[in-house]
Amino acid sequence: MEQRPELTVEPVSPWARAQVMLPVFVPFALIGGLLPSFSLAANLYVLALGGGLLLAGMSSRLPRRAAPVALLPGVAWWLVPIAIFVVVELVTFGMGSTHDYPTLSLLADPLLDGYLLRCMAYFGWLAGFWGLVRR
Amino acid sequence: MSLTRLLAIAGFLLAALAVLAVEWAARRPGSRIPTIGDVSALVMRYDVGGFPVGRLAILSFWFWLGWHFLAR
Repeated sequence: MEQRPELTVEPVSPWARAQVMLPVFVPFALIGGLLPSFSLAANLYVLALGGGLLLAGMSSRLPRRAAPVALLPGVAWWLVPIAIFVVVELVTFGMGSTHDYPTLSLLADPLLDGYLLRCMAYFGWLAGFWGLVRR
Repeated sequence: MSLTRLLAIAGFLLAALAVLAVEWAARRPGSRIPTIGDVSALVMRYDVGGFPVGRLAILSFWFWLGWHFLAR
């Protein structure tokens, strides 16, 4: 059995645990859900929140997990979902992103008009940041 | 609903299911497939002249996703 080429796991600071950080994102998601798409407020909110987090993520102050030294040979399997998505997105975009040929964002827009799904999308976006920034 | 719209939705769902399937396969004991976290981690550790180009690219993509779906 091949072992994963990873370093030993670094100790995690208590405040950096997901159980601590994810609840912090809840009020930000609840506020973001109030701001409709295509509004100035939503643009400013995402620019301020996302920009601030992006800058924080570029600093070396946040604790990081050990990274793998090399990728396992099966990494090519990730090309399967990427290829499916790219083909569908390119075809629908090429056909003008219409009702009959919707891109992903065109399909998502009406769903993200609702407060609950919009809050969940904000939370997913912020949780995704926390998942990435510790890498 | 038109056939082309149905096919487009099915295509996006298939891509999402493929992500879940590959991630599930990667998490199996002894798997030779890296998890999506491992792939992201390796890309994010890519530096050019000490500048974390990979980290900036991944976090910028994350930022763009939020702006594209939640703001614009």
